[in-house]
Amino acid sequence: MEFESYNMPDELYYEPNHYWVRPEGDLLVMGMDDFARKLAGQIVFVQLPEEGKLLKQGKKFASVESGKWLGKVYAPVNGEIAAANEELETNPGLINQDCYGVGWMYKIKPDDMAEVQSLLHGTEAVQKWLVEEIAKFAKGA
Amino acid sequence: MEAKYDFERKYREQILLCSRCGFCQAVCPVYGATLRPGLNARGKMLLLKEVMDGRIDLSDELIETLFQCTTCASCTHNCPSGVPVPEIIKAARKDMVAIGSCHPAFKGMNEVLKKHTNIYAEDEAEDFGRQKKPAAKYVFFAGCVGLYRENDATEAALAVLDKLNVDYTLIEEVCCAGVLEDVGFALNDALVQTNIDRILATGAEAVITGCPYCARTLNNKMQYAPLRAKGVIIMHIAQFLKDYDLGVHTDKKVTYHDPCDLGRHCGIYEEPRQTIRKLAPNFVELAHHHADALCCGAGGGVRGAYAKNSIDMARRRLKEVEEIGAEVVLTECNSCVHNLGNAKLRKQKFTICTTTQFIHDLMEETD
Repeated sequence: MEFESYNMPDELYYEPNHYWVRPEGDLLVMGMDDFARKLAGQIVFVQLPEEGKLLKQGKKFASVESGKWLGKVYAPVNGEIAAANEELETNPGLINQDCYGVGWMYKIKPDDMAEVQSLLHGTEAVQKWLVEEIAKFAKGA
Repeated sequence: MEAKYDFERKYREQILLCSRCGFCQAVCPVYGATLRPGLNARGKMLLLKEVMDGRIDLSDELIETLFQCTTCASCTHNCPSGVPVPEIIKAARKDMVAIGSCHPAFKGMNEVLKKHTNIYAEDEAEDFGRQKKPAAKYVFFAGCVGLYRENDATEAALAVLDKLNVDYTLIEEVCCAGVLEDVGFALNDALVQTNIDRILATGAEAVITGCPYCARTLNNKMQYAPLRAKGVIIMHIAQFLKDYDLGVHTDKKVTYHDPCDLGRHCGIYEEPRQTIRKLAPNFVELAHHHADALCCGAGGGVRGAYAKNSIDMARRRLKEVEEIGAEVVLTECNSCVHNLGNAKLRKQKFTICTTTQFIHDLMEETD
C-alpha cells in the first residue's frame, strides 16, 4: 500500500512504534517502516543485541539513532533474538537504502507465532493508523 | 589592511605561527578517520590564512572543514608553535555563523535550545525516582547526555552517592549551553540564568557534575561567574570520589579512556586513575593515554553533524582496547561512553562504562 508517499507493504504486520514484522518459517523478521525511516533521516547507529536475548512484548530491547534522534525499539512479541543484521554495524544506512529488504534489523523466535496477530495488519487498519500518525508526527516535519 | 573577520582580529598572529610541520596530522582524529589533510589543524590554519590574505572568503564551501573538528586539542598539545587551534576554530565558526554559513545540525541545535531545555528536544527528563530537595550540600548536575542518552550511568552515579551517604540533590537542570559557543553561537543566557538560580536556591556549596564538559562550562564560562562568585565550587564526580574508600575491587583487566574535556582541557588525569587503581589492580594503559589520548570523536558537535566519521574515530580508539586485551574500558564522560558504545562491534566483548557505573556494579555484586 502506498499512502501519502509512505510505502507500507500490505503483507507486513506493524508494531505501533513503526517497526514491521514478517513471518519467515518459524521466525519473525523485523525492521523499521518507511514512515519512521523518512522521519528519522540518516540512520547512524543500530543496537544489535546478542542472539538469545529474551524479549517481552511491548518492552524496549534496543535503540536506533539518527543524528540527534534516538528511537527505542520495542518487542513486537514475546520470544528471543534469533539473529541480528550484522551488516548494520558498519552500514546502518542500509535502513535508509532499503528498509524492507537489506535493511532488516532482527530475526525473532516467537514463543507463540499467533501473537503476531495482535499487531497492525491489513490495508484498512494500517491506513487508519497512518492518518493518525501523520497528524501527530509528520506534519511540519 | 583592516581585518574583515573577528577570528583574524583575535588570532592573526597565532594562525601565522603555524609552520605547516604537520605534527598535528599524526594526532588529529578527524584526519585519522578521513585521511583528508585539509581537515586537520594544519589544513584549517592554511585555509584561514588564505581567508586573511583575501584569496578566498568564508562561505558555505568551508562548512565541512571548519565545522568538522572535535576541538579535542590533540593538535595544540602536539604543536611545536603552540597554536591554540580549538579557540581559533571556535572564533572562525562564529564568523561563519555571522555570515549565515553554518552546518544545519548546529543551526538546528541553536533553535532547539531556544524552545527546549536540552539539546535533544526531549520533553521529559527522568527523575531517577528521587525527590528534589529544597536544600543540600551538593547539587548533582547530570548534563544532557546523562539525562537523555546515558541514563543508566546517571542512575548508577546517584546510587553510589546514596551509598556514600552524600547530602546531594538533583535540580530541574537545563542544558549548560556551553556547546553553543563551540559551534559558533552565543551562550543562551536564559538557560545559564536558570541553572544559576536553581543551583543557588539549594544553598549548595558545590556542584558535582557527571559530565566533564558541563564542569568546564560552569567553571570557565564568564556567564557562570555569578555562581562562582557565590563561592560555589564546581567539580567532576571523578574529583569528588578520588579520596573515598569504596570497598570494592575486581580482578578484571581494566583500562581508562581519558576524555578530552577532562584531560587535555582541564588537566585532570590522575584523579580517575587514583580511584581505578584502588578498584582494579590489573589496570593497564591504552597505547595513547593522558595528554596523548585519542579522542572518541564525539566532541565539538561532530557526533551530531558528522556521525559516521565520529563513529569511525571511536572505532580507532577501540582498536587500542583490543590490542591490550582489556575486559573493561572506563571513562569519565557520558558522551565518550555513548560514542564508544555505539562504535563497539559485536565481536568486541569488552565492557564500556563510566568509572562510577563500574563502581556501582561492583557494589551491587558485593551486596
